[in-house]
Amino acid sequence: MARGARTGIGLILTAVVVTVVMGIAVAAPVTTAADDSTAQGRELKVMRRELKRLEADRARESKVIEQLEQKIDKIEAQDNQLRATNQHLESTNQQLQGKTDEQIKQLQAQVEEGPSQSQLAKALRGYWGSTQFTLTGGAAADFIYDRKAGQNTFAVNFNPIMLYRLNDWLLFEGSFAASFSPGSSGASFSSAVDTAQIFLNDYMELDLGIFDQPFGDWLEVQGPLWVNRFITAPLPFGVESLVPPGDIGMQLRGGFQWGELGQDADYTTWVANGPSYDSALPQPVIGQTLNGVTNITTNTNGKAYGGRFRVYPFPLDSKLGRLELGASTYNGKWQNGLWLNAWDVDFAYHWKNLQTRGEYLEAYRQMPQGSGADNRQGWYFQAGYFLTGLRLPFLSRDLNSYLSRLEPLVRYSGVNQRAVVAEEISTIPALGFNGSPSVFAPHAREVALGIDYWIAPAIVWQTEVDLELPRAGGTLFSFNGASTPTASRIGATPNDRAILTQFAVGF
Amino acid sequence: MKARRGKAWSKIAALALAILMTLPAMAAMAQESKAEKQQMFLDGARLWPVYCSQCHNARPGSEFSPAQWDAIMMHMRTQSNMPAKDARAIKEYLKGGL
Repeated sequence: MARGARTGIGLILTAVVVTVVMGIAVAAPVTTAADDSTAQGRELKVMRRELKRLEADRARESKVIEQLEQKIDKIEAQDNQLRATNQHLESTNQQLQGKTDEQIKQLQAQVEEGPSQSQLAKALRGYWGSTQFTLTGGAAADFIYDRKAGQNTFAVNFNPIMLYRLNDWLLFEGSFAASFSPGSSGASFSSAVDTAQIFLNDYMELDLGIFDQPFGDWLEVQGPLWVNRFITAPLPFGVESLVPPGDIGMQLRGGFQWGELGQDADYTTWVANGPSYDSALPQPVIGQTLNGVTNITTNTNGKAYGGRFRVYPFPLDSKLGRLELGASTYNGKWQNGLWLNAWDVDFAYHWKNLQTRGEYLEAYRQMPQGSGADNRQGWYFQAGYFLTGLRLPFLSRDLNSYLSRLEPLVRYSGVNQRAVVAEEISTIPALGFNGSPSVFAPHAREVALGIDYWIAPAIVWQTEVDLELPRAGGTLFSFNGASTPTASRIGATPNDRAILTQFAVGF
Repeated sequence: MKARRGKAWSKIAALALAILMTLPAMAAMAQESKAEKQQMFLDGARLWPVYCSQCHNARPGSEFSPAQWDAIMMHMRTQSNMPAKDARAIKEYLKGGL
């Protein structure tokens, strides 16, 4: 457009020059042509020079114009390029703005929603580290009344379990039991279990330390305050236990599936310090009680060893419930050359609201020359039934709700032994013991009736009535400060009743 | 007498060797894939009420944190001697699949 204008200006200038020249030529008088030819020639020369100058000017201006036109073209091209760039930037900016808005919305949504559980778990693992210290266990407050001993008392038990998990294959477990029993001014402590549990592979585990005796089912499994459906222990595992309830040593144990899901078997083998008997007595005697755990002061050169095998025959899908059948052995020297040998068979069955378990065991203690064998037998059977799901139409909804939390229980247990020792008979209630002297009869029998009210899966209020029904027979050994005991026959032993109630919490 | 003692020691050495040979298995305990974990969660949901209730009331997963269940299920595997894979499945269920 500008270039065309400048070309037009050049044409106009040329036309003006030509018109001036033509006009001068036409206007000159013909008559004076000869005279004025010289003057005209000069003027013509001047005009030609002027014309040349004008042409030169025109050519120069044309060149300048052309250069300017080129510059303008260049500027126009740059301008167009800048416009295009600007448009592109505007477009990109809009896109970025859209994306940013979207990302901000997503972030806001994530912030409002919070981290997922797996993200949180991962973050916490990273923060706390891979090791884990866990406190669990149980506690209970009891009230105990025994008719024959003529006493009623409160008692408290606190049994924490500390678990320290180092990694997937190593766990340390430590527990102690603090009991505030009647007749003592403070707490009495015992270290129930302290073990290092090393998981060697899926089928084998090595345990080192103090452990519950892997003999039968009750000692190892039913000890915790809130796990035992009753408050007391069955007679074979109570104050006159037939085998030591715990030991110091090592175990190799594991479990495996042999059939369908739920058809399992497990094994436990162990070696430990072995049994020892009440050392307060001047000499060994039939019916003497066992110590809980034989500490590092051993009284023999040999160790005790034993094994347990259990099988679970029902597949999970059979809907027949969970049945456990087990057999155990215990062989340990309590003195050089003198053994305590024992065996046990046990069962446990759980189906819907019904749970039952029972054991039968025998122990044979070799005695020094001149004394007969110290043989004992024991057994228990217990059953309980959750009233969950029971709805009585004549009761209100609230009462039915309370009713469905109840679990009635019954247990029958007994011990046969040839004698008991007078100095060992205690009527002070302790963990798992109601304080009845009838429990110390050589042929103790007990019917325990219980009712558990389950507030939560691990919070229970238990009430138990014990009917002690000892049979006649057996011998009472009494030292009375002498080094040798005197023996007397035990006739009919009176029955006894005890009532216990306990609030137990598992944590 | 000496020969008998030597035999006893060789048995103990063989047992120790067998235990030592299992140590690599401890270090290489498997990390399950996502699909395996889902299957374990489902198995655990079936096993949890049956296995736990055999000795005590089954406690819900919400009572402890996932990290606490890691330790508690090791303890329970020892107590019950349950198969290791079943213990892992129950743990997976109690941890809520985390």
